[in-house]
Amino acid sequence: MPVDTKRIRGPELSQSPLLFVSPVSEVSSSSSSSRQGVRGNGDVRPVFARCGLVSQAKGSAYLEAGNTKIICSVYGPRETERKDETDMKSGRLVCDFRLAPFSCPKRGAWIQGAEERDLSAALAESLQPGACLHRYPRAQVDVNVVVLENDGSVLAHAVTCASMALADAGIEMYDMVLGCALRQDGERCLVDPDLAEEQSGAGENQGRVAVALLPNLNQISGLQADGEMREDTLTAAVRTCVEGCHKLYPVVQQAILRAVKKKAPPPPEK
Amino acid sequence: MAAGFKTAEPLEYHRSFLKENCRPDGRELGEFRPTTLNTGSISTADGSALVKIGNATVICGIKAELATPTADAPDKGYIVPNVDLPPLCSSRFRPGPPGEQAQVASQFIADIIDDSNIIKKEDLCIGKSKLCWVLYCDIMCLDYDGNLPDACIITLLAALKNAQLPKVTINKETDLPEVDVQHKRHLQINKHPVASSFAVFDDEVIIVDPTTEEESLATALITAVTDENDQLCAFHKPGGSSLSAEKLQGCISRAVTRNREINKLIDRVTESIKSTK
Amino acid sequence: MATIQVSEAEKVYIMHGVRDDSRVDGRGCEDYRHMEIETDVVSNTDGSAKVSLGQTDILVGIKAEIGRPRPMVPDEGYLEFFVDCSANATPEFEGRGGEELGVELSNNLYKVFNNRHSLDLRSLCIRPGENCWVLYVDVLLLQCDGNLFDAMSIAIKAALFNTRIPNVHISEDEEGGKEIELSDDPYDCMRLNVENVPCIVTLCKIGHRHVVDATLQEKSCSVASLLISVTHKGTVTCVRKLGGGSLDPDSIFEMTETGKRVGKMLHVPLMELLQKEENLGRERTKVGFLA
Repeated sequence: MPVDTKRIRGPELSQSPLLFVSPVSEVSSSSSSSRQGVRGNGDVRPVFARCGLVSQAKGSAYLEAGNTKIICSVYGPRETERKDETDMKSGRLVCDFRLAPFSCPKRGAWIQGAEERDLSAALAESLQPGACLHRYPRAQVDVNVVVLENDGSVLAHAVTCASMALADAGIEMYDMVLGCALRQDGERCLVDPDLAEEQSGAGENQGRVAVALLPNLNQISGLQADGEMREDTLTAAVRTCVEGCHKLYPVVQQAILRAVKKKAPPPPEK
Repeated sequence: MAAGFKTAEPLEYHRSFLKENCRPDGRELGEFRPTTLNTGSISTADGSALVKIGNATVICGIKAELATPTADAPDKGYIVPNVDLPPLCSSRFRPGPPGEQAQVASQFIADIIDDSNIIKKEDLCIGKSKLCWVLYCDIMCLDYDGNLPDACIITLLAALKNAQLPKVTINKETDLPEVDVQHKRHLQINKHPVASSFAVFDDEVIIVDPTTEEESLATALITAVTDENDQLCAFHKPGGSSLSAEKLQGCISRAVTRNREINKLIDRVTESIKSTK
Repeated sequence: MATIQVSEAEKVYIMHGVRDDSRVDGRGCEDYRHMEIETDVVSNTDGSAKVSLGQTDILVGIKAEIGRPRPMVPDEGYLEFFVDCSANATPEFEGRGGEELGVELSNNLYKVFNNRHSLDLRSLCIRPGENCWVLYVDVLLLQCDGNLFDAMSIAIKAALFNTRIPNVHISEDEEGGKEIELSDDPYDCMRLNVENVPCIVTLCKIGHRHVVDATLQEKSCSVASLLISVTHKGTVTCVRKLGGGSLDPDSIFEMTETGKRVGKMLHVPLMELLQKEENLGRERTKVGFLA
């Protein structure tokens, strides 16, 4: 076990108190066919989105959907660090995805884990088709995403947030990239699930789907599905996700418009 | 024109302002940037706070876990503070293990926690040499615009004030802890230290609350930490130009008034959150 | 990823071929290359298999060890994947060159195999919260000629089929201390139920069509591919879009449909083959690596 000498260390072993919660106090979630509260199964959570919050970055965005909170900043284009890359004709998109240690019910480590690396790769693949990388030869654009609180659908919202930050940074793009996730639980299908919905459920036809969409070109740039689903369910789920992405589009447009107006106020009318 | 002057001769640019006793962002020499605080916004953390000093943004999340105390301090819990400067907050930081600055900041915070006794570590003990709390205080910078120590300490203090721990008992038969999430209690905060940072320009002009730009041009940086009883907890001046005792005294008195302001702010925010609940 | 350089003219040739359902090596769009499978090739593992698919060669070894279950799922064992990109496969993998690809491949393998849909992880539990079997799945890439995922999934399924885990007996001494004893008898062992273990089908979008089992040449003509893992029932357990390009929704639907059909067809002969090989018993002449 390598010892992390560059951080303040705690005890060698510590356990989350959640492991010792007495079962009596746990509230059993009702498995009714519709969601609790006013949100319908097909509704996305209300999204709060803002661009340009990080003063040091070229472009940045903050997105909040329910309790999921994601911040993203974009730096560059700057000279690429890797010189051995064979393809110098187009730029590189370097994504760094992090879950803050306090963002999940169980504390995470500072060192980037396999899950975060996986999400970084998925994020990069989803964003790449949206950015005109051939406009930045021999350069790299850094996209840094930090999840401050994980309440489900992080990858999907991270994609939306990152594409807003790219737009805010003035990186040339073919289209925005919007993300939407879905939880298939038997016949019931929950759009934009929160963390509890993401993890609950057992039985047949279970799955999680996340789609990244270029809304104007109608192209899917990212697709991830896990679980065990019939093919027709999967197809329907992808369709529902595409619809979900379109629902987000006006909010994202508004946020970008706002940021642009702030940066370059319209000329005073005479 | 002004923009060109700023990029070509940043030091001269700042000097021309300081001559007139003001700063490029319109502040006076002894003026802090507007400070805002938000606590309890991260529901996955046991306690959290977000502080903005001007553009500089720092967030702190506290996660409590259970562990066994060490053999040489069987009645004490642990507090583990870590400061992270992710590549998100500024282009000067790269992904990977924490750099020098983050390590220094982490150690600085850890020393203040230990020396000033913000929380009695005995309070974190549940069963002697059996079970105790570990408070992981993870501090993350979201926007690096100078004055990191001040922001870190404010957010840490506010997050500790905001934190609530569930009730834990040790089951006598199985010797395993039992956690009751319905009953939560706040931590007992003993001391309320607050830091005030200063930058020295041209070996003589002292300004408070420097931005990144001012920090990089300064000839010395000073951080003074005082508590609510006007006692000095820590004084950090890593090298740089030498200063007279009077000037340092001036810094400390400014830090004392700053402590009052910040503690008022924390109390006000904590109150407003209680009343909205 | 292991890549090769293909000239524009070659690309056009390949794309036109795919359009007319006739690929460079004479296959149709939904045909696999010639495949060979052999199990029990490495004697000091608990299960192993070697698969060659065209020029792609993959060796999988499985070692079972006793470990502690993960605290969040105390009644389940788990799988660990490690993909080793040997420098034998391509000089690009020399030094740390293959590391990135190895991590990417093993991450995806976790997603596909390490869940209770594909393997009954509960059967790997020995004592809840205390001990469980951990299956270390080591994948060795010996030669790469495209379509690594499909070949890996088949090799893993075959190796899991071949895996024999010794039965355990828990004995208790007077003080209540528990001890785990492994059975000495090599025939007293547990087999894994691999019925639900999925196979991966990777579809490469080339021009307006998609092909199954793309070679490296064909892969360089495509900007995006879809990885689909399918069980023998035809349910889809994992989907990933790979590569830097994007796909329009309709072609995704077509591709999942093809993937499901092809994947379902892959399972039947595979299981038959594995069963047949096992029935040969000790009489079977081992082919090994030099065949």
